[in-house]
Amino acid sequence: MSLATDSPVNSSSSDDLAAFLDAELDSNSLGSSPEKEAEDKDEDEESIDEEAENEEARDDKDLERIKRRKTQIVETIQERPGPTSLGNLEEKTDMLYCAEVSLGTDNCPHPGSLGGMCYRCGKRLEEESGVTFSYICKGLRLGNDEIDRLRNTDMKHLLRHRKLYLILDLDHTLLNSTLLLHLTPEEDYLKSQADSLQDVSKGSLFMLAFMNMMTKLRPFVHTFLKEASEMFEMYIYTMGDRPYALEMAKLLDPSREYFNARVISRDDGTQRHQKGLDVVLGQESAVLILDDTENAWTKHRDNLILMERYHFFASSCRQFGYHCQSLSQLRSDESELEGALASVLKVLKRIHNIFFDELANDLAGRDVRQVLKMVRGEVLKGCKLVFSHVFPTKFPADTHYLWKMAEQLGATCSIELDPSVTHVVSTDARTEKSRWAAKEAKFLVDPRWIETANFLWQRQPEENFPVQQTKPEENFHAKQMKDQ
Amino acid sequence: MFFHIVLERNMQLHPRHFGRNLREHIISKLMKDVEGTCSGRHGFVVAITSVENIGKGLIRDGTGFVTFPVKYQCVVFRPFKGEILEAVVSMVNKMGFFAEAGPVQIFVSNHLIPDDMEFQSGDMPNYTTSDGSVKIQKDSEVRLKIIGTRVDATEIDKNISQSRPKWDPAGSHPSRFFCIGTIKDDFLGVINDPTTI
Repeated sequence: MSLATDSPVNSSSSDDLAAFLDAELDSNSLGSSPEKEAEDKDEDEESIDEEAENEEARDDKDLERIKRRKTQIVETIQERPGPTSLGNLEEKTDMLYCAEVSLGTDNCPHPGSLGGMCYRCGKRLEEESGVTFSYICKGLRLGNDEIDRLRNTDMKHLLRHRKLYLILDLDHTLLNSTLLLHLTPEEDYLKSQADSLQDVSKGSLFMLAFMNMMTKLRPFVHTFLKEASEMFEMYIYTMGDRPYALEMAKLLDPSREYFNARVISRDDGTQRHQKGLDVVLGQESAVLILDDTENAWTKHRDNLILMERYHFFASSCRQFGYHCQSLSQLRSDESELEGALASVLKVLKRIHNIFFDELANDLAGRDVRQVLKMVRGEVLKGCKLVFSHVFPTKFPADTHYLWKMAEQLGATCSIELDPSVTHVVSTDARTEKSRWAAKEAKFLVDPRWIETANFLWQRQPEENFPVQQTKPEENFHAKQMKDQ
Repeated sequence: MFFHIVLERNMQLHPRHFGRNLREHIISKLMKDVEGTCSGRHGFVVAITSVENIGKGLIRDGTGFVTFPVKYQCVVFRPFKGEILEAVVSMVNKMGFFAEAGPVQIFVSNHLIPDDMEFQSGDMPNYTTSDGSVKIQKDSEVRLKIIGTRVDATEIDKNISQSRPKWDPAGSHPSRFFCIGTIKDDFLGVINDPTTI
């Protein structure tokens, strides 16, 4: 509690060395101080931009000057680890003397600034460089070296606590929002069913009249956040603006225990329509991302776990071009225990388990992206697929997203039929390949079988995905497919 | 640092206040307008101690308003570079901690926190020495040294202080002092541990 005894400066441990150097430098410093005093007299007393050095030099107390120098010497010793044998003390003294003088004229590397002032030396910075991190504190900018340093220390800290990083998207991943004026008449019943805003920990449907919006949280989200927070340090990263992001964070995390200040909105991103890990203070090799939009993360596809979109409100379906009834119109909801969040939680637990318990190499060298790839590759392991009536003719098959998705899931894909083929993926049961599959008792499945496996991280029972005899209708899970 | 200085201000008064209580009206309006505001030059006006002199009123042409030059004495608070202050910690994160000394907000980055103090995250994030003897967390009192100041003509950051502080009831003047501080020097650091008596 007391200060005198628990002096935080490490001078107590290197007192002797500092005292020795003091004596050495005393003889040299007498030459430099008169110059400093001359400069001081010209400066305005109230000028804020004075160096602390000058202010103290103006004091005639030698004690303070020595103490200041002592502190600086101690600091420079910390910065230059090396042999301290008396043999090279002579050169070291010279080096330190130069360092001491130049520290006075600001040798600070300016690791970062807050409100335009370097937070290490207090100097006002003219040009602002580095990345802005306004979501941590307003006006904070960090230089690249500092970001790397912070990433490293944070990484060690988290690995010690057995945690990785998890970045969560908001819209269509954890919740679904709609503007009040976009509500259809069939959805009006929701207005009377909205949960109270006083205690948000149990509710899922919220009316935010002051933002003209209604928000529905995805089923299982509270349990998901609670369990994921034990394995991950979580961030929210949304393409909404900051007020929206903060409001949603309040709904998901009223006691600020999951996200705290780690809410990144589009105002914090460095690029306009892209999300990036440059504003995340974590190593890329330990970050997992949960998002429904692949295009937002083009540079970090290896860290991304794609989520099935949550369309609760009718406006959300319209937005993506689906003409079917939304969950609110059907007065139903996604299954809590078997929905997307529950499946993803199982996957996350598995990845976490493998990363910390099963990987053999050094903790710092592990990469969560490798683990992700490995887990993904187990979903359709052992399946050999042939596609029929799925790609347009003369389309290079191995560039199609379904082909690539199937390969990522661990299946092998081929163009030609042969006895080792296990599944034929088709949209029309009358094609030659489809009939071959029926004849040879191979699985004949709709392409949705692959997509569902991708979302649920599990091989689905093939009988749930029969191929339509007639042209398939548009449905909830269909992505843009080129039918021919 | 606190100062007791004489300032002057021109108060505009609406004719409805003319009458017996003219002086009282001027003084109460002055207090309402000035107390709690901040200027870059003088700092925060904490309280008006006395009114020295109210000059002759000048009627403005075209309106009925009258302008009175008022000289008053007040206590002001302004942070200076190199000053040593006591402050209360308001927020701790891995970059450092924020402390408030009345209306002044000071940020101490972890570069300027002694090396033996490490950040511990959790429910109550804090900085602790390796033997656990000294702890800096929310509501700790610390003595720190200011190494840089700046007047910020922007809104108060709502993330830092949730409620409107006592010193700015009207919320009239949106400027603030913002400082960078250090506790790495001798005799700086925690004064009072909130967990012990």
